[in-house]
Amino acid sequence: MTALGQNLIDALALGGLYALIALGITLVYTVMGMMNFAHGEFIMLAAYALFVFADLPFGAAVGCALLTGIAIALIAERIAFRPVRNADLSAQLVTSLAVAAILQNFVTVAVNARAQSVETPAAISESTRIGAISVPNLEFVTLGLTAIVLGGLGWLLYRTRTGLAMRAAAENFEMARLLGVRANRVIAIAFAISGALAAAVGVLIVLQTGQVSPTMGLTPVLVGFVAVVIGGFGRMFGAVVGGLLLGALSSLLGVYLPEGLAPFRDAIVFTFPVLILIFRPHGLLGGEIGKARV
Amino acid sequence: MRRVRFRTPQSAAASLLIPLLLIAATALIGASGTPSLQDTVTMILCNLIIVVGLQVFVGNSGVYSFGQLGFATAGAYIAAFLTLPAAFALLQTPGLPGFIVDAHLGALSATLIAAAFSGLLAIVIGLPLMRTSTLAIPISTFAFLIVVYNVVANWDRVTGGSSGLVSIPSTTGVESAALWAGAAVVLALAYKWSASGYRLQATREDEVAARSIGIGVMRERLIAFGLSGVLCGIGGALAVHQSGVLNPATFYFGLTVTTMTMLVVGGARSVFGAVIGALAIAVVNELLRGIENGASLFGAISIGEAPGLAAIGLGLILLATMIAMPNGLSSGREAGELAWLQRLGLSAPAPPPPSGALVESTPAIERPPKGALRAEGISLAFAGLQVLKQVDLTLEPGEALGLIGPNGAGKTTLVNVLSGFQAPDSGLVSLDGVVVTGRSPTRLARDGLGRTFQAALPFPELSCIESVAVGAMGMGVGRRRAIAVAADVLGRLGLLEQATLPAGALPPGSQRLLGIARALAIGPRYLLLDEPAAGLNEAECEQLVAILRNVLGDFGCGILLIEHDMNIVMPLCSRVQVLDDGGTIRIGTPQEVQADPAVVESYLGSSFLAGVDA
Repeated sequence: MTALGQNLIDALALGGLYALIALGITLVYTVMGMMNFAHGEFIMLAAYALFVFADLPFGAAVGCALLTGIAIALIAERIAFRPVRNADLSAQLVTSLAVAAILQNFVTVAVNARAQSVETPAAISESTRIGAISVPNLEFVTLGLTAIVLGGLGWLLYRTRTGLAMRAAAENFEMARLLGVRANRVIAIAFAISGALAAAVGVLIVLQTGQVSPTMGLTPVLVGFVAVVIGGFGRMFGAVVGGLLLGALSSLLGVYLPEGLAPFRDAIVFTFPVLILIFRPHGLLGGEIGKARV
Repeated sequence: MRRVRFRTPQSAAASLLIPLLLIAATALIGASGTPSLQDTVTMILCNLIIVVGLQVFVGNSGVYSFGQLGFATAGAYIAAFLTLPAAFALLQTPGLPGFIVDAHLGALSATLIAAAFSGLLAIVIGLPLMRTSTLAIPISTFAFLIVVYNVVANWDRVTGGSSGLVSIPSTTGVESAALWAGAAVVLALAYKWSASGYRLQATREDEVAARSIGIGVMRERLIAFGLSGVLCGIGGALAVHQSGVLNPATFYFGLTVTTMTMLVVGGARSVFGAVIGALAIAVVNELLRGIENGASLFGAISIGEAPGLAAIGLGLILLATMIAMPNGLSSGREAGELAWLQRLGLSAPAPPPPSGALVESTPAIERPPKGALRAEGISLAFAGLQVLKQVDLTLEPGEALGLIGPNGAGKTTLVNVLSGFQAPDSGLVSLDGVVVTGRSPTRLARDGLGRTFQAALPFPELSCIESVAVGAMGMGVGRRRAIAVAADVLGRLGLLEQATLPAGALPPGSQRLLGIARALAIGPRYLLLDEPAAGLNEAECEQLVAILRNVLGDFGCGILLIEHDMNIVMPLCSRVQVLDDGGTIRIGTPQEVQADPAVVESYLGSSFLAGVDA
């Protein structure tokens, strides 16, 4: 019973992390229709900010990471993504792949191809006991952050003018534009928030693993993509559900998979969406994207 | 009587020979060089095969796959298993079944088996993946790549795990790589120019229109995915027999970006683009690697070692191409279609249409109507808004039925229900007495239901004759016969002069006619036309009426005509059905309908009567 409770909290925490990744990707997708491959590199660069600013107090370094995530997202949007805003989905995806390759290898050249270790506050790796269960503090941080982000995004999207503009742009970009929504501003805001989310994820990953590497963004971005596919494209709620499901699955497989199969956990986790797509080709929450309109 | 063609023999020959010559020239340079240059050139040709394999799927479907290197990995491991000397096999892959270890095949048979295995794997993987959307495919194929990597990196007893395999016989030389590359080009072009290839290209140009002419999007994508798997498997098998070593990362993210860059820079829509992209990027890549390794540039600028520099260079090239030149170096054209080549006389533009109006006097597909198209009690609501309320409709063969009503009356939605694009909440659709409710648009098109859309939905990159012929191809008609059907239909609609122009280059009015031609090419029993006259000028409208009258006579099919312009409805239609607010308010002859006060009230308006009086 205790073990089960422990495992469920672990699963929820990993699911929360995955949901944050999926949200960052979905946010850009809803306003621009682009699946951003470079989101993983936003995560990676923000994580590297912790490495570069390791001499600063940890809180300040986190601030730097946040600024890095936002800045790189805005720069990528201005230089690379704005010119292909009206291209088709596939062309945008390939463009973001190019950005990802550039950023990833930039870090390889500028720093090193190898993983670098980063010092993290001791308190984060300790655990707190609640009854019979001992919960790592990092999981509290992750779960708390996920809840705050979800609440914050909900408030932004449904209680502010900016949010209204973003939702309108997501619904019908051209129409929103004709009605006076400033496209560049809305898209830039979406990228900035997406970059901030990426930074949060980057910091959480560093807190968990204690290291950074140029390829550290690859798995998260794939996880985020798959979560978005499972949840149904362009649905904020779907992204959260997809992320939670995928994280829970991955976490529970890590515990319950027999020893011989344990190394194949990733293979099983990434086969899972295919199984879902067999039965629900448009994801669990069935976004209509990709289903042609007549 | 001259035959109508998609392209001249010179153009086809140039499209085939120029890529082959490029490959031969590359091989010659390699074969005459140092052993190290030979190795480099052999590897470049192996990558070229993979890029051509990528083109078969990505180029023709317009859907990106990031998983094709998973098939190269599969091919490479299979080929390695089949040729690994027994002593090494025992050490590296103890878990491998005996019959594979003892196979000791030669390079050729190993490559062929690897190709077959990769193709089969692609079909098995493609079956679920091709059902998903254009945007889900790149992501799920990427997930597939990660799954393959994860399996081969951890299945130690069979694959040698992350340390990989060594001492694989190095049997691939420049010559064999070049021969296989040539074969890949021939195969890719043969596929692209086959009926199946054309059907897939039509889905790339417009998925909805493709489904309306009987093309099964999933099936066509799956065929190309399988063929692409075969070619990628061959590329992987040859590459492993070149280097003699193999590990899980050989065909992974890095090479995925590289091959994708090659395809996009060359221009994904053409095989020629795949070839020149693969060669051009290979050269750039070698230069960048030279810089990366610290070589001095022109003896003057010396740069220290900087691993990753080449990858940044490739990423920048890919980014610049996507922004500034999305169609790539080849502009998506095959070699024989290049204008400068035609100016040099090395190729010829597509042939002018024959002078006679009609090429063949009868349509190639004949399906005399046997019953009627009937809708009974169709109801449909969108999010609570009742769009159709218990609508009945009967379309007899050989008659033209006008469907009129104000905007938002539900006319287009009814046509979408009839043609399978929209499932009704309740009610039945029957075709010649058979209930067809719930059948897909593709299936209904094959049953003989043709339709057009409010937008012309052309296949912009296909020529007019290709656009129309692909309609017949959607019915399973072979290429040659499909061309004859297309020429016949284009002749009837007065579009033969434009036959070899790209459909996207036609003026809007002609594009609408082309949409009708495309629907006629399926040999429809029933033809549903959604506002065919929208945007036509007066002369074009008169022409349209004449054409539709001929279609009624010649094809004997029933026509359902949604149209606002009474000047078109009145002379054509024997009956008119009036929809208002989702329900039928009147059915009768044009004269009866025009005289009905309720119809005038809801739709025609007093200004119409005024117009008649005047």
